[in-house]
Amino acid sequence: MGRTLPSMTQAFLQEQESFVRFRRALRRSDQHALDDLFTAAQQHLAAAAYTSHALPFEVLLLSMLLEEHKEVMRLRRALEDLSHEWYADDDL
Amino acid sequence: MSGMRTTICEGWLLDLYADSEDGVALWLIEASPTSDLFQAQAQSSGSAHVAPIGVRLRLRQAFPVTFYAAGPGLRLHALWRWLQNQPVSVRLAAVERRDLFVASPLRLLSIQVSNPADQECLFTQVEQSFPDLTYYDADIPLALRHAAVYGTFPLARLRLTIRELNEIETGQAAGDVLDIQVLDSPWELDPELPPLRILSIEPDSDPRRSEPTHLHIRCERRSYRLALEPARPLLVNLAAILRQCDPDLIQSAWGDTWLLPKLLELSEHWRLPLPLNRDSKKEVLRKRAHSYFSYGQVVHRGQQVHLFGRWHIDTFNAMMFHDYALEGILESARVTSSPVQETARRSPGSGISAMQMVTALRSQVLVPWHKQQVEEPKSALELIHADQGGLVYQPTVGLHSDVAEIDFISMYPGIMVRFNISPETVGANGGVAKRLELAARVPALDLWVEQETPGLIPRTLQPLLEKRIVLKQRIAELPAWDPRRRLYKARASAHKWLLVTCFGYLGYKNARFGRIEAHESVTAYSREALLRAKEAAEDLGFRVLHMYVDGLWVQKPGCRCVEDMQPLLNEIVDRTRLPIALEGIYRWVAFLPSRVNPKAPVANRYFGVFQDGSIKVRGIEARRGDAPLFVSEVQMHMLDLLAQARDASSLKVELPQVMAFLRQQCRLLRLGRLPLEKLIVTQKLSRELALYRTPSPAARAAMQLEALGKTMSPGQHVRFIYTLGEPGVYAWDLPEPLDPRRVDLARYRTLLLRAASAVLGPLGIKEDQLLAYEKSSFAGALETSLGIDRQFW
Repeated sequence: MGRTLPSMTQAFLQEQESFVRFRRALRRSDQHALDDLFTAAQQHLAAAAYTSHALPFEVLLLSMLLEEHKEVMRLRRALEDLSHEWYADDDL
Repeated sequence: MSGMRTTICEGWLLDLYADSEDGVALWLIEASPTSDLFQAQAQSSGSAHVAPIGVRLRLRQAFPVTFYAAGPGLRLHALWRWLQNQPVSVRLAAVERRDLFVASPLRLLSIQVSNPADQECLFTQVEQSFPDLTYYDADIPLALRHAAVYGTFPLARLRLTIRELNEIETGQAAGDVLDIQVLDSPWELDPELPPLRILSIEPDSDPRRSEPTHLHIRCERRSYRLALEPARPLLVNLAAILRQCDPDLIQSAWGDTWLLPKLLELSEHWRLPLPLNRDSKKEVLRKRAHSYFSYGQVVHRGQQVHLFGRWHIDTFNAMMFHDYALEGILESARVTSSPVQETARRSPGSGISAMQMVTALRSQVLVPWHKQQVEEPKSALELIHADQGGLVYQPTVGLHSDVAEIDFISMYPGIMVRFNISPETVGANGGVAKRLELAARVPALDLWVEQETPGLIPRTLQPLLEKRIVLKQRIAELPAWDPRRRLYKARASAHKWLLVTCFGYLGYKNARFGRIEAHESVTAYSREALLRAKEAAEDLGFRVLHMYVDGLWVQKPGCRCVEDMQPLLNEIVDRTRLPIALEGIYRWVAFLPSRVNPKAPVANRYFGVFQDGSIKVRGIEARRGDAPLFVSEVQMHMLDLLAQARDASSLKVELPQVMAFLRQQCRLLRLGRLPLEKLIVTQKLSRELALYRTPSPAARAAMQLEALGKTMSPGQHVRFIYTLGEPGVYAWDLPEPLDPRRVDLARYRTLLLRAASAVLGPLGIKEDQLLAYEKSSFAGALETSLGIDRQFW
C-alpha cells in the first residue's frame, strides 16, 4: 500500500470534486443520473482500494459500469419472468 | 541481635515505588504472618487491634537500576569521568548489548545507580551535559524494571525472604527484602486476589455545577456524611475515618479534579495533617491537567492525585472505568505490570508499550529513550496511515433474516503472533530476512518476514492473546446467571483494548518498537485473510452481505443454527490459519444507508437482534455519546419492542406498539414533561475557543462558561441544552438553572424523529411519513400513514 498516496475514499471524493463544473452544466435530471453513477462507484471502494491501481478513476468507471450491468441483468431477468407469466396466461 | 533474623512471609504486592532513603518501598498485604515482629510494628504504628491476617506491611529493598549511553569512545570516556565526580553513587562498566534495529551488538557505557530514586534526576543532568550521546533504558518506569527482574506485577502473590529490622533501624519499614518469589502469574485465569479495603468518597453534588456542601463516605459497611464547612471538624473526622478504616483503595468521584486537591488545600491551611497517603514519609503526588492529540482526536486529561501505600482512583478521571470498572483496571495493571493508579488514568496504548518494554528488558534488548512520552501529536499524513489498511466494504442496505456474523478474534494481534510480525522480523528482500528459505512473503507486498526466531512483539502478545481466547470460550460456555461471567467479561474487555491499540503502536514511528513495514504487513495479511474468508463463504453457497476489517456477515437459505455454520467456520480456519468465532446469528439485521445520501450504504451503521434476543447496535443515536439521553432511550426502547419479533416477517406485528410509544414520547416532549437532564447534549471541544470561526453549539456553550471565569480546554466535554433564540444553547454547568420554557422543543422533536426513522427506515417508513403521522392526532392515522406502504408487507 502506497502510504504517501491518498486513500481510495479521498481519491473518490477528489474525482467527484473535479467534475463539479461538468455537473453544474448538466440538466437537473441528468445531474441526478450522474449522482447515481458516483453512488454506484462508491459501493466498490473497498475493491478499488485493494486493486491499488495507479489510475483510480479507471477503477471507478469500471465500478459504475459494473452496477449498470447488474441493473441490465436484473431488468433482463424481470422481463423474462414477465414474458413467462404472459405466455403462461396465454396458455390458460 | 534481632535485626539479623530472617523470616519468610507471603502476601500480595499492593504498591511499589522509589524512596530516597529506602531504595524501593514495597507494600504487602500479608496473607500468612509468620513473625510477631510485624504485629509489633503494626502496633507501634498506632492501631490498637490488628487482626493477624491482612496486615499491610511496608518493606524496603535494595534495587539498583541501570541505563546505558552509546556514542564515540572519547565522549563515553568524558561521561565516565564526569559521572565519577557526581555525588550520586554509581557503578560504571563497558558492556555489549543488542539494539533491536541494529544487526551487531553495540558497545555501551553502563551506568548503574544504587538508589532508583536518584536515577531520573541523574539522567536529566547527564542528558543535558552530553546531548550528543544515544541513551537506552533511560526512562523505564520502576515497576517495569522490577517486573523484568522479579516477575512482579500489581497484586502478585509473593513469598518474601525478609531480614527483620529492630525499632531503631526501621523508621517505617518492617524489614529488608532479601529475596522475592512470585507464586502466580498475570496469565492465571482465576487468580486468588486479596480482599481490598475500599473507601468510597464523593461530594453530594457535581462540583462543576454547584458547590457541594457535604461528603458521602462509605467503607466496610459503615457510612458517614460530613459537612464541608466548617473545615476543622471535617479534617479531624476525615483523618479519624482514614486511620480507622485504613483503606487500600480510595475510590472517589471528582477526587482528581476537585475533591482531593481541595482537601489537601484545607489540610495545609488549617495545619491539620490528613493521612491520605499510607506512607507518611511521602508527599501526595499531584500531576497537572493537559490536552493532547490521540488518533485524530483531542483528549483532555484532568489533573491527577496519586497516593503512596494505597491507591486513589477517581471514577470520573479513569479513562476506561465505565467500560470495565475496577476488575478491568486491575486486570490491565496485572498483565502490563504497571502501577494501578497509572493504569486507571491512562489510555491502553501505554499499557502495550509497557509490556513491550518488559519483554525487551527480560531478553536484554535495549529500550531506546524518547524525549516525549508515547502519546504525541500526529501529522495528517500519519493519521491517513493509521486509518488505512483494513478492507471496509459497503453492506447490502436493507433488512435481512438469518444472518451469521463471523469475526476473527483479535485479528491484528492474531496475525502478528501467527505470522511472527515484529519490527525486527520484517524487511525487504535481502534486508532483515537474509535467509529467504526461512522467511515468509507478505501477501501482495515485496516484504519478507523472518520465521526462525520469534519476534519481540509476538512474544509480548502471545500470552495475552491466548488468555483472551480462553476467556472468550469460557464466557460463551458459562450460563447467563454465573457471576464469573461479569468478571471474565470485564477482564476480556481490558484485554481487548490492549490488543486493539497494539496495532497502532507497530506502525507509529514515535513508538519505541514501531516500524511502518511491520504495520503494512499486518494490514496486508488482514486483507488476504478477509478475502479468503469471503471466497470460502461463496464457495459454500453463502451470500456475503457485509465485510468490515475483521468480520463478515453471511447468509444462506436454510442456515439458521450454529451447526449449519460449522462447515463454513472450519473452512475459514483452514484457509486463513487464524482464530475465528461465530459472534452470533441474527434473527434479523438492518444495514442502514448514509443519512446524507439515502442511496449510499455506510460501513458501520446497523442494528440487529441475535437469536438469544440480544440487540446489537452500531453508529445510530442509541450508541452515540453526543445524543441526548431522551433520544437514545426512546430509540433503544423502540428497538427493544421490535426485538420481540421472532423473525423479520413478523416485525409488522410489533409496529403499532412502536408507533404508539413514539407518539406518546413526542407528546411528553411537547408538553414539557421531560426532566431537563434527559435533554443534555454532550459534545467535545475540538480546539481553543478563540480559533472557532463559526462556533459550534459546544463552543457557544463553552463561551458562556468562560464568561463566568471557567477555563475550557480542547478535548473537554461541554454539556448543553438547545434553547430558543440566540445563541441557541444553554451550558448545563452554568450556575443559574435553565427556565424550561426556553428549551427549543422543535429541535429536540427533529432529533427524536430522525433517530426514530433510523430504526423504522428499514421497515419502509420514511422520515416525512413519520412527521405526518406524528402530527395527525386521530386514531386511524397509523393505518392511513402505513397504507402507503402496504405493498411492503
